[in-house]
This record gives sequence, C-alpha cells and structure tokens, in this order.
Amino acid sequence: MSLVAEAFVTQLAEEQILLSDNASSLAVQAFLQMCNLPVRVVCRANAEYMSPSGKVPFIHVGNQVVSELGPIVQFVKAKGHSLSDGLDEVQKAEMKAYMELVNNMLLTAELYLQWCDDVTVEEITHPRYGSPYPWPLNRILSYQKQWEVRRKMKAIGWAGKTLEQVLEDVDQCCQALSQRLGTQPYFFNKQPTELDALVFGHLFTILTTQLTTDELSEKVKNYSNLTAFCRRIEQQYFEGHDKDSSTTVAARSAKRSLLR
Amino acid sequence: MAAPMELFCWAGGWGLPSVDPDCLAVLVSGAPLGRRGKKRRRWDLPLPCRITPVALALQKYNADYDLSATQGADTLAFVSLLEEKLLPVLIHIFWVDAKNYVEHTRKWYAENIPFPLNFFLPNCMHKQHLERLQLMWGDGYMEDEEKLEKELYRDARECLTLLSQRLGSQKFFFGDSPASLDAFVFSRLAPLLKAKLPNGKLQQHLKSLQNLCNYCTSILTRWRRTPTNGATSCCQCWWGWQPCWAMPS
Repeated sequence: MSLVAEAFVTQLAEEQILLSDNASSLAVQAFLQMCNLPVRVVCRANAEYMSPSGKVPFIHVGNQVVSELGPIVQFVKAKGHSLSDGLDEVQKAEMKAYMELVNNMLLTAELYLQWCDDVTVEEITHPRYGSPYPWPLNRILSYQKQWEVRRKMKAIGWAGKTLEQVLEDVDQCCQALSQRLGTQPYFFNKQPTELDALVFGHLFTILTTQLTTDELSEKVKNYSNLTAFCRRIEQQYFEGHDKDSSTTVAARSAKRSLLR
Repeated sequence: MAAPMELFCWAGGWGLPSVDPDCLAVLVSGAPLGRRGKKRRRWDLPLPCRITPVALALQKYNADYDLSATQGADTLAFVSLLEEKLLPVLIHIFWVDAKNYVEHTRKWYAENIPFPLNFFLPNCMHKQHLERLQLMWGDGYMEDEEKLEKELYRDARECLTLLSQRLGSQKFFFGDSPASLDAFVFSRLAPLLKAKLPNGKLQQHLKSLQNLCNYCTSILTRWRRTPTNGATSCCQCWWGWQPCWAMPS
C-alpha cells in the first residue's frame, strides 16, 4: 500500500517559528525526503492549535493527522516505508537510545535557550512568537507559552541550570554523537535512518540560525564530522529542490546554507 | 585514592540496599564510602531530579575507566532512553497509581519515617511526583486510561525489551566488567523487580525478560560480596533500620 501522493508538513509561519520547532520540522522533512516521499511544507500561525498533540510539526495525509517525529515514523512504517528495517536488534536499540539523547539534551537545550535565557527571550523569542497577532494578544500568548515552558523546565530539573551548564550539556551531546558517527557517512554506516534525520534537523538548525550569540553553534562546529554530516545530507536531500521554494531549506528567513 | 565521602540516602527495603533509585545507583557504583563510616538515613532528601548529573558524577569515580569513546557515548544515550521512557512510568507505578501508592509505597515510607514527618511527607512527595508527571504528560493524563496504557506503558515495555536486546547474553552492558551504565540500569530495574506491587503490569513484563532478571540478581549478589574501600559491608544492614559499615582497622 503506497502512501498518499501528497503529505504536507504544517509548521508555524516563517517569521514566527522558533529554533526548537524549526529543528523538529526540518527533522521530519529530512525523514520524508530520505523515504523518497513527496512533501509540501505549509506554514500556519495557528499550527500548534491544529496539531493533535499541541506540538509542531504534524503531517496531514488524506484524512489523517499525525504529529511529532516518533508517531510519524510509525505511521510511515505502517504504510510500508521504513529506513530502519535493515538494522539488527542491537542496532535498533542503539538508534532509539541516541534519538532519546537528542530529544533529552539538544531539544531541551534549544527550549531553554529560547524561553529561559532572558536576552534571547526579549530580543528574539517574544517578537517572533507573537508576530502574527496584534497587541496585546502577541504579548499575552508569548508570556503564556514562556510560563508553560518554564514550568516544564522546573519539573525536569533544568530551571536551576545556568547557560554555561546548558552549553556544556550540548557539548557533551555533540561529543557523544560525533564519537558514535566516527568517519561513517551515516550513523548506521551505509543507509540513513530516522536518527540521521533527527540529528540533521537539530544540528543544521543550530548551525544556521542567528541568535544573540554564536556560542551554541560554536559547540557544534567543534566537531568537524558533524558539520560534514550536515553538509552531506543537505546536498543529497535538499539541494535538488532549490527551485521549489516550498521545500527548500535555504528559502527560510534568517537562514544561510552551510555551503556559503 | 579518591577522597571518601559521606552518603545521605534512603534506607534499604524490599531486599535492596536502598529503595530510592538515585541512592541505589550511587551505592552499587562502588563510589568510595570510606572511613567516616555511617551511611545515614535522611528524611529531607530533595526529590531526585534528572539522574544525568548523577550518572556523569559516577563516571568521575573511574567506573568507566576501561570504556572506549563509543561506549561512553552509548552510556549517555542509554541513560537518556531510560530517563525519557522508563523513569516517568516507574514514578507513576510507585507514586501515582492509586493501588500501588496506598497499599505499598505510602505504607513503607510512613513506617520508616519518624513521627511526625510520616504523616505528611509521603503525601507531599506524592503531590510533587504527580505534578511532575502532569507537566510532562498533560493535566488529564490520569483520566485517559487508553493513552496511559497504549502509549506510556507501551513505551516503557519497549524500553525494557530494548535493554534486554542490548544486553543479550553478556554479563554486563560492556563486557565482563561493570560500568556506570550498569549501576544506572540496575538502580531503575531493581525496585521494579523486587517490590511486591499490588498492580504490577510492567513488573510482569520485566520478569518475562530472563536476562534482565539474572542481571539484576547477579549485581545484587556481587555488591553483597564486595568490600567497599576497606570498609566491610554487613549483610544485615539492608534489613535493619540502622545501617552501618564496619570501621576499617
């Protein structure tokens, strides 16, 4: 049974989207490209409210709506497309573990930076998140979201961390990913898997998003095999779609290609 | 030799040196508990936050001296897997599930905490854990039985199965010697294996994974026999309520 010809990834509007959501969205796009499935990116200001789990991105295929990378991978697998079928049991366990490492450390660090670091919140997050809405709704919604994220950070023990500690965690995560990748083209040597898509989504977004400082992207740049990995995936899965502005990575605002 | 440290931890129970997973991880890691002797009980321990700092701290005591760089990376990855998929469900099983909390967890803590703290401390801990899970899973997660069973328990069962597949027939995760990952995995699995829970759905799944059960039993036996930095452990310590270490001569 083949997947319906058109699935579209819905994400927040281009001027509104933040680092963490951009990374998650790019990971899903990369995964679908690796599966050779056509995908159209649609931006909506209320994408978070449209999503069944409240998180972006989500895909809309026919009359089904599935959000977040994990369930999307399961959904695509049920339709007969999988990137990890060739792995043995031990490799599958390792793949899942490394995916959780990225979610646990990289995604949480991105959320911390954009909602708990005061400078970033004032200069980037608040203006971007509330941009589609008029005053005072823009401020109310962004403060509400900030309060929600800070409560979650407190629950998982990240509220007490300093920015330096968070950057240290990012460095440890990148070190682990770099060691696991080694000199291989992909994490499981010959073929990309959902882990490659997830890592690409986060690392590429960190490398190409302009923030108030370059400290976060410098942590990733310390590992040359990771930047080479991102460049390789960008060239292989995204360069060919440069003319189609709805799918190109380089068309987004505040982004630049790794090749420049 | 590393400087000895004084460890404050929850007391033992259910056949384990400590009932709290974080305390258990430090105890079995072989971190030096030296001449000061007393492993004291403390009732005001903060709610354990993410274990990653403890796991990283364990590594500083050379538990991972022999590991390669890739194995060190695997340690971090599997710690994250356990924290995201298994730990929240364990918290739910011990502290939030009505039957288990009332008949098992609250009973144990109320019996082992001195008056008058035993009247309100367990409830306080229950509320903190519930709030944490509600923030992670959504406020209405308790009412949505189907989501709880289908998604959360399924993820936890899958996590246990993945651990079992990764361990295979090896003695420890990285060959013949234990590392900090073994201490961490043991600390999460042992309470689930040993506690006599009225509602033990996940426990049954763990018991069906024979290699994980044997793994926990062998670590428990090994810890029983190993003297720690010159101080001899007394086997009865786990059962009584006045844990002590024999002072080195």
